Amino acid sequence: MKYYECNLHTLPEGSDSPSRMAVAAKKLGYSGIIISNHSTAGEAYGIDAARLVGGIEVVCGVEILAADQRGLHARAASLRDRFDFLAVHGGDEKINRAACEDPNVDMLAHPHGGRSGIGVAAAKAARDNQVAICLDLGPMIKLRGGARVRWMEMVRRDIDLIEKFGISLMISTGSRSHLDLRSPRELVALAALLGVERKRAVEALALPGSIVDLNVRRWASVGVELL
Amino acid sequence: MRSWLPVLRERRRYLAIEVEAEDRVRRTDLAAEIWNAQTSLFGDLGAARNRLRIISFDGRFGIIRYSHQRTEECRAVLATIHTIGGTRAAIRVRGISGTIKAATEKYIPQSTLQPDENVRRVDSGLVSGSVARVHGREIDLCPDDRKMTEGSGTRYVGLTSFDL
Repeated sequence: MKYYECNLHTLPEGSDSPSRMAVAAKKLGYSGIIISNHSTAGEAYGIDAARLVGGIEVVCGVEILAADQRGLHARAASLRDRFDFLAVHGGDEKINRAACEDPNVDMLAHPHGGRSGIGVAAAKAARDNQVAICLDLGPMIKLRGGARVRWMEMVRRDIDLIEKFGISLMISTGSRSHLDLRSPRELVALAALLGVERKRAVEALALPGSIVDLNVRRWASVGVELL
Repeated sequence: MRSWLPVLRERRRYLAIEVEAEDRVRRTDLAAEIWNAQTSLFGDLGAARNRLRIISFDGRFGIIRYSHQRTEECRAVLATIHTIGGTRAAIRVRGISGTIKAATEKYIPQSTLQPDENVRRVDSGLVSGSVARVHGREIDLCPDDRKMTEGSGTRYVGLTSFDL
């Protein structure tokens, strides 16, 4: 299996350069990393250096930060051709729903950031538009006590929903530093505590790679590829 | 040592770990942090079942004993540790073994490379600062602008020699 870490923030949003992330991720057993900064100015700082690391694929993605639904759809449409991986900064209920309804979006990142999870309507839309939901394990690692209990309650409910509708799942840590990264095995162990089966978790870690493989090919229209 | 029926003997496994941290880590801090993480995640009941103990720790590499068949739980406990004694840190599992001897021989390196002392300052467009530590290709940089590491709660900016 080729494991990918699908939601990383590098300089200036995190504290590490892409190449440091790549070296750390390679050590932990990943086959690739997806840098998804909020900035849409172009390729991230030092991404060429990261490609020199070797033995690990470095993908330049983006995490769309939108204020409302219309803005989200407009930005997703305009950024689709420029980036190999399109994530949406979730957390707000309306943004979560809008991201699930947009076929241009590859992944909804940390939908459990705020108080709300995804909900039934968004889950159905995510299934129809093949938008993956990212289970961000950062809060599980960083929070303690009551805050983590509330987060776990919300995530457990949404995992039931994800299983019910058969939505594609991704697992990430949302790292801003190489010290936030965890190896695939540790993520599987953490996800198991939240009720994600082992097989499902392994698939979730490999899914970003197959989506990026599809995205880098040049599609003329649905099902027609330019060679 | 008190004898015990062989069939009822409690079986053990040993985790070889590596601690990646921004500063020196003491054994007592590591033990306290593992203890807190464990009771926070599994409570007293789960902690009694896991039976995590630090066997040895030299500041970077260590060996941890736990009850066999609790591998996933122990991995999860170690994964939830993000600071040790107030400094940002992460625990990496290098391997699992049935005996202390095998864990030491297989997973704990006996010699470590000396840091390369050539580079002291970095000034490259976005980042500038002085080098705090070099480890192989990895460079920890103490940034001139403190705001650079605000979001992640770390003290240093992580670079590699590829960036320079």
